[in-house]
Amino acid sequence: MKYVLSTALIIIFFAFGGCKRDTELFDGPSLIDRFGDFDVLEGLSANRETVSFSEGETVQFAAEFNKNVDWIIEITGQTSGAVKRITGFDRIIEASNATWNGGTTDLPFFREENCSVTLRVPEEPEFLGELEITITSPKQYEGSLFIDFETDPGAAIELGNFEFEFSPQTGRRNDIQAAQGEFYYLLEGTDNVVPNFFVGLINISPSVTGNTYAPVPTNVPSQLHFNCFLWHDAGPHCIAVIQFAYDSNNSGSFEDGVDQVFQIEGDYPLNHNGWRHIHHTMADVGMNAEQVEQIVAIRVLLISNNNTQPNPPVAVRFGIDYLTFTQGAKLQL
Amino acid sequence: MKQNSTTLLAITLLWLFSASASLWAQDGSALPTEKEKPAKSGVQFNGLGRTLLQNTDIDGNILEADTGTIRRFTDGEFLLDMQMNATPNDKTEVQTILRLRNEFGGFFGAGMTVEVRELWARGIIADAIEYHIGDMDMVMTPYTFYNFDEEGQINEAAAFMPLREVIHYEQFYHAGNTRRVQGAKLNFGLNFANVLRDAEFMAFIARVRGTDFFTAPSRYTSGGSAIFKTRNLNGDPKGMNATVGLNYVYTFDDRQVTGLNTGMANQVITGNWKAQLLANDDYTVQFVGESGASSIVNRNDSVTLFSAEDGFADLGLKLTLPKHKLTFTGAFIDVGPDFFSIAAQSRRIDLSAEKTYYDRLGTEQSVRQMSFFDMTRDRALYTFELSDRLMPYDPRFSNVLPYGTATPNRRGLRLGAERGSSEEVIEARFDALIASEIRGQGTNELKAFTLLRAATNLNLHQYFDFSRKLRFTLGYQFEDTERGGEPVEQINLTSNLFDLGVEVELFSGFELIAGSKTLVSKGNEYVPRIDEFNVVRDFPRVFTADDREQLFATGIKYTFKEGVYLTIQYHRLASQKGENNPNDFNLNQVFVLYTMSF
Repeated sequence: MKYVLSTALIIIFFAFGGCKRDTELFDGPSLIDRFGDFDVLEGLSANRETVSFSEGETVQFAAEFNKNVDWIIEITGQTSGAVKRITGFDRIIEASNATWNGGTTDLPFFREENCSVTLRVPEEPEFLGELEITITSPKQYEGSLFIDFETDPGAAIELGNFEFEFSPQTGRRNDIQAAQGEFYYLLEGTDNVVPNFFVGLINISPSVTGNTYAPVPTNVPSQLHFNCFLWHDAGPHCIAVIQFAYDSNNSGSFEDGVDQVFQIEGDYPLNHNGWRHIHHTMADVGMNAEQVEQIVAIRVLLISNNNTQPNPPVAVRFGIDYLTFTQGAKLQL
Repeated sequence: MKQNSTTLLAITLLWLFSASASLWAQDGSALPTEKEKPAKSGVQFNGLGRTLLQNTDIDGNILEADTGTIRRFTDGEFLLDMQMNATPNDKTEVQTILRLRNEFGGFFGAGMTVEVRELWARGIIADAIEYHIGDMDMVMTPYTFYNFDEEGQINEAAAFMPLREVIHYEQFYHAGNTRRVQGAKLNFGLNFANVLRDAEFMAFIARVRGTDFFTAPSRYTSGGSAIFKTRNLNGDPKGMNATVGLNYVYTFDDRQVTGLNTGMANQVITGNWKAQLLANDDYTVQFVGESGASSIVNRNDSVTLFSAEDGFADLGLKLTLPKHKLTFTGAFIDVGPDFFSIAAQSRRIDLSAEKTYYDRLGTEQSVRQMSFFDMTRDRALYTFELSDRLMPYDPRFSNVLPYGTATPNRRGLRLGAERGSSEEVIEARFDALIASEIRGQGTNELKAFTLLRAATNLNLHQYFDFSRKLRFTLGYQFEDTERGGEPVEQINLTSNLFDLGVEVELFSGFELIAGSKTLVSKGNEYVPRIDEFNVVRDFPRVFTADDREQLFATGIKYTFKEGVYLTIQYHRLASQKGENNPNDFNLNQVFVLYTMSF
């Protein structure tokens, strides 16, 4: 009987050795999600009608469908035109996946204004959920603000129109929607006097913040992020340059040709339409800890790309707004 | 881990058992187990010659606005496989097959190829261990290493056999469901005096994929088996006896040598057995089956990207009634949803392969669905290679067991009955499987499967005592898949497949042959998209069928002598989807095939 017992043992071990299985879940995506009819069990709602983001309040949206779907909540500022989108693939929309803290997806920033909110499901184009939210106080963004042009900087901005190529429009303006607040700074001109690519520049002194040097939240260059918003009209010939001047001789003021200047390699070729968030670390421009603590000026240059310009060259322009430094990460919109 | 420890324990038990038996029972002799022993010294020339000319045309609704598809074409080939077999001594044998092939229409060398189709050497080391190096045909068990039959045929008519044989020959599908690999194999046997009668051991390794030096490392499959046969209990010729096998297959990517970081490893270990429980002159009862476990792991360096383990059990009884020439089988099967056995689940038909003719049809040039016509003729659809994912399948032809016996995620009861032989008027076989899923796909609802297969040969020449063959062949397969739940989860797909054939031998070696294959499939199903291993990624669309497909064949076959024949046939396929569907089409072919084995 020895072989019979051995055979039986082997059979028992193999037959029952691998039978513990997870059968509570199923393989693949849910067929109901994939092919089932769509139904709205609970329409779009929010936990409040007015919100003060500056006091830390948030808006939590809610809705419920009969199956998981791709959904998009889009919040549009009726005055600013700012847009915030929240997306997901869920059956239930709730605080864990649809909370708005006042941030924006498409610039500009939200301000004190009424916002329209829509909920859409792309695969169900006939469905639309709507409501309105009033912002009583917009979000206060983190970081050390350098300048937002909301107040007249006066002598803190030095215009360098050495070749008389800037147009009269160059300056602090509110003719278009600023990325933040009401005002931004426009640089516009034509490189037709001295055709050397250079149109003009502005030097912004840290005195605009009330300090000798630009206030920064950290002196670790790799953790110090510079942020600003650049507006452009999608023209093909414009280049923006932003330089950071280090007070090499500890004079407390910017001295061109004396103080060391840093800039991001490759400049900012502009080909977008509207506002764009520009950001990089200060390590990217090659500054060290000592240098980032003594930024004595930020210089913004308008460059005309004569390699692509027609003859005679056409005007180039860009706007700039909300120059700020953040720590650890770029500005979280 | 539980499965691994279990299999380790089983291996240990088996090893201890066999070792203890060897200590006192081994008689010291070693017998080679290879059936074909090397011949005496010499050189032999054999081979195969083939001439195949096919004229194919197409018509039907789908071509009404399609001006880009040619309606008729002729192709074919002439080939000669020269087999040279040399036995320089009585312990060594080498063989190669050189192929000379010319496309029909190829002149002055254009379209002509010369290639080595097969090359191997084998012999005996120290009169004890057989080795085989080079091309070889491997088979183990249906759950470890097995090239299961293609779908779409149940006792197929003789009229379809000539083209089927061409496909099988080209893809190295030999008897016994072997799979062609290239590597090395060792095997030896031991005889015992008591309890054990003998034991056979086999180990092999083969490379089944070369590296591309960028993303895909070389892939190897290896493993072995140990098969132990006992003597009959108490020396009674009809006493209890058993055959027990231990099988192991390890397929892996060689990340070390090629330096590529990502690769998979698939292990399958099983035990199989056949134990004769009761036997007398009237009946024999055997306990048969196989059980085991698998693991699959995919790693990038030391990071595990994917891993799964599962097991299976196939426990059956076999009742043989020799006086009535009847055999009945019944088995409980449970193959886990994560059971993955690359060498047993790789299909012969690769639905993703491009057809060699009329692959796209219609004004939109959409891919034509595979049909009987392709399955019986197009060798490009077939493969013998191992797939590292469960390959796509057509649920109209095979929805219950698309991956053969080792199809994962099945639990149920398998029944079978068999009667007669070719020497009798009626030979018949019946198989059934009633099963369900173990884990749902896209829902917690489980599919229920019903599979019925019946095959009968009516050897009327035996009944009428004719000297010439008069035979009807019948085959039938019924498949039904159902699932309840919400309306979107519900499935109801039914397929009926009929194979009919007749062979009339008018005079010696000259036969009229005819056959038909019919598929009627109706219902809906969700066919999963599987990107890797057996992981369901998506259900791209609802699969709906209202199809009727019929392939008719008729012709003559003249057999000059065994292995040498000429056949001329006409085949016509009608593919219909519902009523007067604009995608309906017909395919016709006339072909001449001359085959000579020498």
